[in-house]
Amino acid sequence: MDYSLFIITTLQFLALLVSAPAAVGLIRLLKARAQGRRGASLLQPYRDLRKLWRKDEQVSEDASWLFRVAPLISAASVILTASMLPVLHVTVLGPGSDMILAIYILMLARAILVLSSLEGGSVFGGMGGSRDSMISVLIEPALLLSIFSLAALAGSTELSSTAQFISQGGYLIIGPTLILAAASFCITTLAENARLPFDNPATHLELTMVHEAMVLEYSGRSLALMEYSSWLKLTVFITILVNGFLPWGISSTLDPLSLALAFVAFMFKLILALGLIALLESQMAKMRLFRLPNLLTTSFTLALLALMAFYIL
Amino acid sequence: MTEIMMNSLNILAVGILLASLMAMTTPRMGQLIRIFTLQSLMLACMAALVGYHTGSEHLYIIASIIVLLKVFIIPRFLNYSIERIKVKRELEPLLGIPGSLLLSAAIVVLAYFVTEPVISLTEVITRNCLAISLAVTLIGLLLMITRRKAMTEVIGLLMMENGLFLAVISTSHGMPLIVEMGIFFDVLVAVIIMGMFAFRINETFETSDTSILKRLRY
Repeated sequence: MDYSLFIITTLQFLALLVSAPAAVGLIRLLKARAQGRRGASLLQPYRDLRKLWRKDEQVSEDASWLFRVAPLISAASVILTASMLPVLHVTVLGPGSDMILAIYILMLARAILVLSSLEGGSVFGGMGGSRDSMISVLIEPALLLSIFSLAALAGSTELSSTAQFISQGGYLIIGPTLILAAASFCITTLAENARLPFDNPATHLELTMVHEAMVLEYSGRSLALMEYSSWLKLTVFITILVNGFLPWGISSTLDPLSLALAFVAFMFKLILALGLIALLESQMAKMRLFRLPNLLTTSFTLALLALMAFYIL
Repeated sequence: MTEIMMNSLNILAVGILLASLMAMTTPRMGQLIRIFTLQSLMLACMAALVGYHTGSEHLYIIASIIVLLKVFIIPRFLNYSIERIKVKRELEPLLGIPGSLLLSAAIVVLAYFVTEPVISLTEVITRNCLAISLAVTLIGLLLMITRRKAMTEVIGLLMMENGLFLAVISTSHGMPLIVEMGIFFDVLVAVIIMGMFAFRINETFETSDTSILKRLRY
């Protein structure tokens, strides 16, 4: 019996779980450096989680059982999605790697978050929830179309197969479809994770916050779970981006050399993506809420064009 | 070799289409002119690539004329005109950005279905670009219809011309040189006349909003 495949897939899943706070820490550190501050260490998010885990929890007296359950469902669905992603090796630990399933599991986390934002009975929660549902309604078609164009290109909606197909397809696969779909997915990644042109993750200003407004009522362990699931969601999306749209370097054998190469390639792409997000966030101002549909429609049109380009060209 | 060529031609063609879509999203005049410049540059690259592939030298000449005219002279002139008219933004387009983008996407789909029977008949390397060229032409028309400022409409017309040129090089690898030269000269003169005209409209009516021209009837 050969356990090495099982060990590799478990390791890549655990590595994704463990590295999520460090990824957010890296964005914060790079952003601080770009703004001329020293910045907190990479380990600060881990310390925050430990601190929150030890604290007492305050629950509003208007809140029902949903308020307690929401962080658990949110974290569980994001962790389940993380288990469905190929990181170094193309096989996965979880139940297949179907991207449509993965996206709707993440949508479940989002829906439960919006519901729980109403639970606290505060004004901000409802406001954040309504804004977030507006954004997510606009994201969904763009996100699915970019996945569909990837699927049309590679002939499968399983991330394992598309990664293998594209990384072995040679340079001719780098065509309009892949470029446009990747560009569209980049915009939706920022929108889905409440990053800068859509929402400012570093502020609690009443008028602008979206994601922060929804988790405002949480404290203690629930807040730790909420924060962790949003960090892991960012890592999950970046992994889909780098392994779905630019999967070069991913290993499809169990050969230690190719796994090491895959590790180097993945880390390079991950750090590059995080660095780009940090650069973008220190360059750009947040968009006005009612101008967000413009950017999201652009993303939708890019994805539609990607799918059209696959059939036209 | 042919496949690399085809791939880069496809990427350039989609880039040209993307430039047209970007033009639909921006209300700023300066940005619109930069997008037009970029689109013309990609068109020139495409003409040169097709010239290299088919060995027809006159396409090199045409590519260099495109660079000279549409990348240097016309954008300079347009910039000069908006400086003089002092119009920086399109304030109230008739159709919002999401609506016009979705309409443009529908145009792309329509263009594909319209040109599909023609595409299957020809054998040239750039046959795939025919649908894109029709889409670029129609999106230029949409830009002219939905915007009010005279300068935006001029840029819409120039983008339509880019689309037509793309259609020419994608179906027959370019027209005879003398015809192309005539067209370029026409475009240059048209842009200068329209620039002057926009300036006149602005001077007479204190605005370059063309929808106000309806009042001339009374």
